[in-house]
Formats: sequence, C-alpha cells, structure tokens
Amino acid sequence: MRPILLQGHERSLTQIKFNADGDLLFSCSKDSIINVWFSHNGERLGTYEGHNGTVWTVDTDPSTELMVSGSADNSMKLWQVSTGKCLYTWEFPTAVKRVALNEEGTQIVCITEQRMGYQCAIRVFDINRDEPTKQSKEPLHMFNPVGSKATVCAFTPTPGVIITGHESGKVALFNVKSGEEIESNERAHGDVITDLQLSKDRTYCVTSSKDKSARIHDTKNLMVIKTYTTETPLNSAAIAPNRPYILLGGGQEAMSVTTTSLRQGKFETRFWHKVFEEEVGRVKGHFGPINTIAVHPNGTTYASGGEDGFVRVHHFDDSYYRAKPYGDAEILD
Amino acid sequence: EDAAEESNVSAELIALRKRLVDEWNAWRLLRKKEIGEKGESKKEGDEEKEEIE
Repeated sequence: MRPILLQGHERSLTQIKFNADGDLLFSCSKDSIINVWFSHNGERLGTYEGHNGTVWTVDTDPSTELMVSGSADNSMKLWQVSTGKCLYTWEFPTAVKRVALNEEGTQIVCITEQRMGYQCAIRVFDINRDEPTKQSKEPLHMFNPVGSKATVCAFTPTPGVIITGHESGKVALFNVKSGEEIESNERAHGDVITDLQLSKDRTYCVTSSKDKSARIHDTKNLMVIKTYTTETPLNSAAIAPNRPYILLGGGQEAMSVTTTSLRQGKFETRFWHKVFEEEVGRVKGHFGPINTIAVHPNGTTYASGGEDGFVRVHHFDDSYYRAKPYGDAEILD
Repeated sequence: EDAAEESNVSAELIALRKRLVDEWNAWRLLRKKEIGEKGESKKEGDEEKEEIE
C-alpha cells in the first residue's frame, strides 16, 4: 500500500473530502487555498483561490457541480467545481468553521465561530441551483446553540434535523426551523469534538475528540453504539464503507512533540474494528499530527491530511480486502 | 494484515464476538428498514420523512 504524496499546500491541512463518485479529492488548508486532485493518481486538477484566510472546511454536492467552503476570513463561498469560479460569497461577522451539504445538495448548514461579542451561530441556506450566482444573502434558518459552542455539524436523514458536536464534548440534535435542541448527550465526549462523519445512509456517525476517543452514535436518538479509546488526542475519524473499520487520526500538538519520540508522537492512521472496538493496524507517514481523514465512498482508498502540509492517498491492496480480522462473520455497513 | 492471523482465540471470545456482530447487524437492519420504508412512502405535508441513499 504505497501512498501517493500530494504536495500542493504550504501550510497544514484542515479538511479533506472525496466527492460522491470518489474520483476527486478536495483539500483545504491554512494557506487559504482549496485544491482538487484526481484520487487515482494524485494529479492536481485545480485550485480554488479567493479566500483570504485559513480555509477550515469544504463539502461538495452529489453531482460534483458545486463545492462550498468556509474560512477564517468570515466568509463562505460557493464554487463551480469544473471551472474553479467562485459563484457566490456569503459574509459573516466571524469565521466559518464548518460547512455541510444535505444529501440532495440543495441546502448548506454552516457553523460560525463565537468571537468578539458574537455567539456561535448555526445557519441553514437554500442553494439556488438554477442560478448559482444568485443566492439568498439571508439564511433560511438561523439559531444560536445553547450552552457550549458547536464545532461540527451535518444533516441527519430526518428533514430539518441536524446533528452537532460541541466544544464541551456534547453531541446534540437540533430542529433547524425552531433552533430547539431535540436531544442531547452532554457526556458523549470529555473534550472538544474535532470531527463528525456520517455513514453512507446517514443513520449513524462517528465523532472524534481531544479526549482521545472516537464514538459511533445513532443519528436518530444519539445512542452511543461504539467507543474506540486511544492514547492520543484525535482530530479526525472516518468510516470505511464495505469493510468493518473506523480510521482514526490525531497526535500530540506541536508544542509537546519535542518532549516525546516520533513514535510517541503517534502520527499514524489507526484502523479500528468497528464492531469489536479493537485496534487492528496502523499506517505511518505524516511528520506531524493528522488533522483530517477521508475514505473513498467505495471504500477502495483513503487519504489523510496532516499538520505537516501533506496529503497522503492510500489505495488499499489485496491484503486489505483478504484480511478478516476476527473471523468471517458478515458485518453490515 | 497482521491482525488477520488470530487462531488461538478462546471460545468465550468467539462467543462474545458473535454476539457483538449479531447486535450490530440487528441494529443496522432495523435502521436500513426504517429509512427504506420512509423513503418509499413519500408523504406530503409536514410529516417527517427520511430519504433513501
């Protein structure tokens, strides 16, 4: 499983994301650009320039026509994937930390930072797909989550309901129309939730946290289904489709790295058995913490983006498919 | 790969893993069935409906 190294960012990666077909990989970084790569060979297809600060987050629609990004420059941008053209820019009082599209690619949910007298806000926008350069400036819904600020979010399969992860470690379900918290698990994690990724059918999700663990939650009722406990703060967790694995990445912060050996730095992608909650393998590579992990929608490839500024793309080899850790019982996705 | 060869696991562990797989699969089947049903019956109005993949 020789990785392909993608060198196109000058600063650390913040989020990487495969499109729905899996042929493209989007990466965003603190260097304020977004790159798009062919996932099979790592060739760079293009760059999206326009943000004036860290790009924290990206997402694409199911047809890969549109891409949405959120940045520390207090803006959210809608891009035409094929041309690299910025179609629309929404401006906010604070940084955009997370964006996510719904399954149909018709709505965006975004989180803006709590800062300078502004509360953390969650907004939902309709995407005008007919005339993409003409978007509504005002959100369809907006609310301020009660208590701890939100760090990650996604649409659940229930219309009008989003799932959020918070700075306090809380996971919650919100009605976007009313802003009402429908359900919450205050103790889902003991520290900041750093990532939240959905299963293909959106009926469950995995969260990662600085509390060194990752968890699978039922997106219907927030029941914790599984817990994966590691020895390092986690920045990202991804679900491998068609195989019973969860991929985890993280590592000590740069400041504490000098006091430990590289091994203890733990800059490895960890593979955990999804059902048995046991670690089954690790993949080394990055020279700094892993900030973001994404798995190809068919489960054939995974990529990791590091604090070191690199993206590493790994195509799984035969041994990965042959491996049946702990028996050959069929495990549903 | 290294975890593939695990032959000396005890009978208890095998039983535990079987139970974990059964529980997981039962929960997955339930959720898959739910979104399948709700997706098929696309009701109008304010009624909550869920979409299929």
